Amino acid sequence: MATEYVKFVDVTKCDGCRACMVACKNWNDLPAEQQDFLGSAQSHAKTTADTWNVLQYIEHEDSKGKLDYLFRHSACFHCTDAACEKVCPEDAISYTDFGTVVIDHEKCVGCGYCVNNCPFEVISLKEYVDKNGDKYRKAHKCTMCTDRLEEGLQPACVTTCHTGAMEFGEKAAMIKKAEERVKQIKDRYPNAMVYNPKGVGGTHTVYVLAEKPSVYGLPENPKVPTSAVIWKDYAQPIGKMMIGATTMAVVGAFITNTIISKKKNGKNEDGGDSHE
Amino acid sequence: MSKPQKSTVKVRRFSKAFVWAHGINAVSFFALYITALPMYTEFFDWLYPVLGGPEGARLLHRIFAVAFISPTFIWAIFDFKGFKLWLKELVTWKKRDLQFFTEFVKELFGFNFKHVRQTFFNAGEKINSIIQIFTAILIIGSGFPMWFPEIFPRAVVQWGYLLHNVGFGLAIAVIVGHVYLSVVHKNSRPGYSGVVTGEVPAWWAHDHYTDWYDEEVAKGNFPEIDENGNPKKPTSPGSKKKKGA
Repeated sequence: MATEYVKFVDVTKCDGCRACMVACKNWNDLPAEQQDFLGSAQSHAKTTADTWNVLQYIEHEDSKGKLDYLFRHSACFHCTDAACEKVCPEDAISYTDFGTVVIDHEKCVGCGYCVNNCPFEVISLKEYVDKNGDKYRKAHKCTMCTDRLEEGLQPACVTTCHTGAMEFGEKAAMIKKAEERVKQIKDRYPNAMVYNPKGVGGTHTVYVLAEKPSVYGLPENPKVPTSAVIWKDYAQPIGKMMIGATTMAVVGAFITNTIISKKKNGKNEDGGDSHE
Repeated sequence: MSKPQKSTVKVRRFSKAFVWAHGINAVSFFALYITALPMYTEFFDWLYPVLGGPEGARLLHRIFAVAFISPTFIWAIFDFKGFKLWLKELVTWKKRDLQFFTEFVKELFGFNFKHVRQTFFNAGEKINSIIQIFTAILIIGSGFPMWFPEIFPRAVVQWGYLLHNVGFGLAIAVIVGHVYLSVVHKNSRPGYSGVVTGEVPAWWAHDHYTDWYDEEVAKGNFPEIDENGNPKKPTSPGSKKKKGA
């Protein structure tokens, strides 16, 4: 495997300019989504099929009762152990050599299993209309600009970030940087932490958060849903084995019946009258 | 016991309501299985074009899902007596039911066996029914959150996927056996007409459900028959085909 890269987002350096959102729309050719006023400077409630990253604006009251205006660039986390990849029935979601998680739209059937199993709720279905007027759906999310990575470029959001809140680099180095940054800001943000949740095997977007994850609407301990693990690792293979087993049993029964009937020279007819 | 020909005298085993309920259940189950098969295994992805793409498959799956819910109501509304008897039989377990299984294994593979006296449903049918009721509840119950994820909590939808999988995985495994016994296996296939016309050969009913048959004879509904299924004594016209249950 090639060197693993992660996107390091230091939310404490973000000034909320939203250039990352614009760069993403621009590079990925995503249409604008007009929204009603949501009550804050935040443009969209969360990521959608056409808005792969959203800048969160959170008005937070800290432990001293002071107002903190928190920003967070939110997008797909590119989990090492991705629930979406696990539940996809069409093998449409896969890991790349960079550790990013991408959706193959040729294979995607728009079932929405990934949408409902993502621990971070960042995947959405987009509805298309084909030339016959029939509707079909495909799952969409941030690709970490895998097409750019393949060309030796960095993700569009990272390249455009003017405060240095985002960096893209080799995994170990980025995590080290994140840990050091947390130490630096502990005075100002006592709850600061590195968010690289172990329940999903670590992520390829690693955050320095100023507050607890829940302040940002993030799960404290995200993990691949237990139901998804039982479903895909146990129920499905066992189910396939069971139909195989009963099929073998009836085929076996058919064969033994044929052999035994032949031995009896066709004396027995339908109904099996071997009475006492 | 060798004999040239079994009698064609028939007795009514199932009501028309049951025949319809059973038929709708069978057709919708297989339609549901086939329309979801490409989601279960990529080996069947070629079914997508046949079914009108993933969208066509999804639509068909939902149409047959509604059909799949209806049989219980059809049977219970139009033949409550038969439906009640079924439920009563399902909770009645005696020594004869356990004896049935040891003989059944021999019968299944074609060895010599003896019929254990059974009531309207034999122990195997009862097990099949119980599993199908259980799996239908799992499948239907989990189907709703899968169909309408926006009105259910996320965790319910997630567990729904698992339960749907467990439900149909268990159901299809049992149905393979159920279908084999009804249309292929030489001892049980004479009863196949029971789910088509509702009537079965009298001799077959007598062999397989002796207690039930004798009860109906005592009630005067069924004719007394000899080993070949011919009425022992002349029966009054019309007494052969009366409703059994």
